[in-house]
Amino acid sequence: MLEEAGLVTTSISLVEEHARKIKPPRILSVPFNFGNTLGEVNNPSYQHEILAATFDLLDRSIGPVLELFETDKIERVILSRSEAMTGSEADKKDLLVELSDMKPNYEKWLETNKGRTAVGLSSIDTELFPAVLGFLKQYTAGEVADSGLRPQQFSIGHFVRYCVDDLKSYYLESRIAVKPDASMNDLYQWLWSDTSLGDLLGELAAVMDDSEDKEVKAIAYGIAR
Amino acid sequence: MPKLEILSEQQRTMLLNWPSPENEDFPWTPMSKSLSDCKVALVTTAGLHVRGDKPFTTAKNGGDASFRVISRLTDPADIIQSHTSIGFDRTSIYKDINITFPIDRLNELVALGKIGSLSDYYYSFMGALRNPAGLIDEYGPEVAKNLIAEGVDVVLLIPT
Repeated sequence: MLEEAGLVTTSISLVEEHARKIKPPRILSVPFNFGNTLGEVNNPSYQHEILAATFDLLDRSIGPVLELFETDKIERVILSRSEAMTGSEADKKDLLVELSDMKPNYEKWLETNKGRTAVGLSSIDTELFPAVLGFLKQYTAGEVADSGLRPQQFSIGHFVRYCVDDLKSYYLESRIAVKPDASMNDLYQWLWSDTSLGDLLGELAAVMDDSEDKEVKAIAYGIAR
Repeated sequence: MPKLEILSEQQRTMLLNWPSPENEDFPWTPMSKSLSDCKVALVTTAGLHVRGDKPFTTAKNGGDASFRVISRLTDPADIIQSHTSIGFDRTSIYKDINITFPIDRLNELVALGKIGSLSDYYYSFMGALRNPAGLIDEYGPEVAKNLIAEGVDVVLLIPT
């Protein structure tokens, strides 16, 4: 649509097979893991290398252009609960104690990241996260079907999803604050195997997956799998 | 894409069976001037938006094809992501927004004179659309119109 309207486009693809089907005019296919389009975090020179290769495609006079950006620096990332679970014997804390323990680390994260945080989708203030956890526990147990915390514009399914996304971000950012060199795999393994939140989310996803509400059932897939 | 062989069986199957459109033809607008004279806009499919803006929805039939506008001058602390599939890593964008939304890198390219200028507004879509009809028929053309009205020459499209 953009090109048809007279704009010149150049793009990056993470899925070469899809790019070959869609045939965009100019595309650089990169081999990085999803979520890592420009290769490496906090590595401006490498990111510029990839952007330069993308902009270089603008010099071609014949299309479609599909070029490969090659590197062997990719490791497999294990993101899903079912794969990241280690059968850890970690001494897990009560959920509210665990959440409370995260707070100083999350504050450290905010300090070192100029206030940037992925937390905020639910629009619930972090001070109310204990109440959010209480709601999710009760929702999982089938004791409640809704929450007074839910903003009207969100369906119950989406509210649960955004609360879960915020809690995941709160935990992971807290972890990165004290383990800045932890790999992606370390972080997801810790979340799913070593925290009580990971256990709750596994149970919550199973409950939502059994729902007769199609939206709730669909959202379960993004909570944990 | 990470090499297929290092993905889980579930991810590999999902990607290979994804209902990706198959086009026989492709549109082509030739470059009419040097990049150093062009105004460039950034369009992402990372599901980013300004904090407080309406999040993208994840369970809409076929996916949420709508878009959000992000002013180029938005503080990165005010940019948030509601594309939160657990099929991709989000810890990298926590650490560095440029990994998928290279706002600092583009500013640096302007300072170096490699890019003429940047648009005042960037655009964000949700990724993983199973049904692109809304994108093709409504939202894509609307964004194209906005970009042209702003005098944009080149669009950089980046997924997550």
